[in-house]
Amino acid sequence: MRPLTRLAGRWPNMPIAGALLALLLLLAGVGVIVVSARNNVALKRQETQVQAQILAASVTAALDFGDVATARQSVEALGVNRQVVAAGVYDKQGNLFAGYSRGSGLLPPRFGAPARRGANMLEASAAVERGGTRIGSVYLRVQREPVSRRLARFSLIGLLAVMAALVALVLGIAHGALRRANRELEERAEALGRAYAELQVQVEERARAEEELRQAQKMQALGQLTGGIAHDFNNLLTVIQGSADILRRPGLDEAKRLRFAEAIVKTAGRAAALTGQLLTFARRQPLKPRSIDLNAQIEGMADLLDRTIGERVAVRTDLAPGLCRIEVDPAQLEAAILNICVNARDAMPDGGTLTIATSDAELADGRRAVALAVTDSGSGIEPEVLARVFEPFFTTKSVGKGTGLGLSQVYGFAAQSGGETKVASEPGAGTTVTLLLPCNANSAPDEPAATPEATRDGRSGHILVVDDNDEVGVLAEALCAELGYRVSRVRSGPEALAAAGSTRFDAVFTDVVMPGMTGLELADALRELTPGLPIILATGFSDEIARQGTGGLPVVYKPYRLETLAEALDAAMGTTETGKAAPSPGT
Amino acid sequence: MRGGGPLAKGMAVLAAAALACAPAAAQPSDMAVKAAFLTKFPAYVSWPRPPAGGALNLCLIGTDPFGGLIDAAARGQQVDGRPIAVRRLPGTDGADACHIAFVQGPSDARTAQMLQALRGKPVLTVTDSRGGAARGMIFFVVDGGRVRFHIDQAAAQQSGLGLSSRLLAIALSVRTAR
Repeated sequence: MRPLTRLAGRWPNMPIAGALLALLLLLAGVGVIVVSARNNVALKRQETQVQAQILAASVTAALDFGDVATARQSVEALGVNRQVVAAGVYDKQGNLFAGYSRGSGLLPPRFGAPARRGANMLEASAAVERGGTRIGSVYLRVQREPVSRRLARFSLIGLLAVMAALVALVLGIAHGALRRANRELEERAEALGRAYAELQVQVEERARAEEELRQAQKMQALGQLTGGIAHDFNNLLTVIQGSADILRRPGLDEAKRLRFAEAIVKTAGRAAALTGQLLTFARRQPLKPRSIDLNAQIEGMADLLDRTIGERVAVRTDLAPGLCRIEVDPAQLEAAILNICVNARDAMPDGGTLTIATSDAELADGRRAVALAVTDSGSGIEPEVLARVFEPFFTTKSVGKGTGLGLSQVYGFAAQSGGETKVASEPGAGTTVTLLLPCNANSAPDEPAATPEATRDGRSGHILVVDDNDEVGVLAEALCAELGYRVSRVRSGPEALAAAGSTRFDAVFTDVVMPGMTGLELADALRELTPGLPIILATGFSDEIARQGTGGLPVVYKPYRLETLAEALDAAMGTTETGKAAPSPGT
Repeated sequence: MRGGGPLAKGMAVLAAAALACAPAAAQPSDMAVKAAFLTKFPAYVSWPRPPAGGALNLCLIGTDPFGGLIDAAARGQQVDGRPIAVRRLPGTDGADACHIAFVQGPSDARTAQMLQALRGKPVLTVTDSRGGAARGMIFFVVDGGRVRFHIDQAAAQQSGLGLSSRLLAIALSVRTAR
């Protein structure tokens, strides 16, 4: 491309050059013809001269001896040649001795006298000599070839010259066309380059627009999420706040006090479940699996379901007997069932039937499992919606009505429990959501969780509570004190280290997420300072723990209950107590 | 063609007059023409040994019919730059130096005798007589009022002489060897 362009640039007037070359060739052809014609004339002249000399030689004796007849014979012999128009032999004095002529006036009467002019005539004369002595002269006049014949002779050369000129011209024109084509090509390449650049810009714009769209979608999703959470939380907070307000009133009778305290505990539990759902969808909620009987779990939920689903929907259960046990987190299972049922309820605004069925099943990889199928008689799900029902934040409900996390939690829970989730739906005919949960390998019934004896007496020891949040810290302090421990409280890791350096504690209960030094870092430092000191972590959610784990330290998840805390403290200090049985050089 | 139109005839006469025209000869005659011819023949003859230097000898053997005519004719002539010297010899004695000889005896027999003496020698013999042995290699005749000649090329060749084809071309007849 580039060299061609340079070439075209170097000879920008190639057609003109071609024309010039053609002209040159034509001129050369004409030149050749002219030179050839001239040569031909010279040759003819020479030939005529030779003929004259031959004549002169042949008539020498005749002239010498005055033999006119013989001389005329010689002269007339030349007449055989049609081109010879006149020939004459003159004596020493220049008088005509013998002559021949095709027309009158062509032969001069005396040697040297002018003859009638004629076109295309060649004249030649020669001396007649005998023994070196001039004894007379001959004169010869020859008609040259007619022009037409000469032209015919040169026509081939002319034709060749014309052909060559034509070739040069055609080449020049072809080169010009090529150059034009090159230019066009170049222009097109440039246009293409421009188009490409424009496309690039458009792609960038498109990417930016997509990014903006994604951002907007994220914001929308976030809006839906926060809207849904706020809605749910506000409901729960209303109950808690109202109940607490009533509790603060003086002179409350014991029955009322208990009822409202119970309401607060239950509502807070539901709030904790809500945040738990959020974390489950993110699959960051640590599961606490237990071996359970699915049928028993569902039967235990009957009241809850009745309350949740309302009176317009009839709940039927169809539980297959003799199912294997499954190992799942019962709280999460409950949440999953609730989520499915709430969705089913919302699909039947005008009422209908909700069926909860269990059966034996098999997973895709052949493991035994139990199936939990929740079927509604509702509006069904459109296929394009069906494909997205498990997406987090995807919801068909209006803002404030749902978080878009319900089925996502179901999916996350099933996947984390080693099971599967299936949705089958036909618009207008209802939907079936099926959970497949693998059977527990040992299938032995788990020990029912021992109810922590929160009220157990005999606890003693000194506990250091570390939390940067005053409210939580005060609550933890109060709870520990309620359990019978002596409690000291600090607000940060460095403070805790200082306290641990001066006082001997029996356990440290620390928050994980704190500014400056995290609970994990504090734990490391404390274990270095006081090996064997029981440390319990508390967290609502910690990325770090989700990522790295706790390094073997027990964790209490917020919001925690008094029983939870008691259990964790008992476990931690109990092991330490066995450790303390060994003689310790520190004491 | 021979002896063509009146014009040609007139010209021929004119030409003959011009050819014979020696400064002294006012009246052209047959003898003057013959004298002129004699001086011109050497130009068309080649000798076996080319004459070295000096003049070319034109001998009049026997009687001299030309008188001053031959001298006048020879005076202006040159052959290859050599002058022509006219020698008059009574007989064939001393004819060895001749290049060309006009032989004329009192009778044809005598002429034949002299020719016989010259036979084999490189001498171009010219005679006026034309009978049998009395004629030379070239012998004159008057044909149609004009002086012409015949050539016996065979005899010339026997003497080692070469005759120019131009000369042969204007001879009335040429006798060639068989």
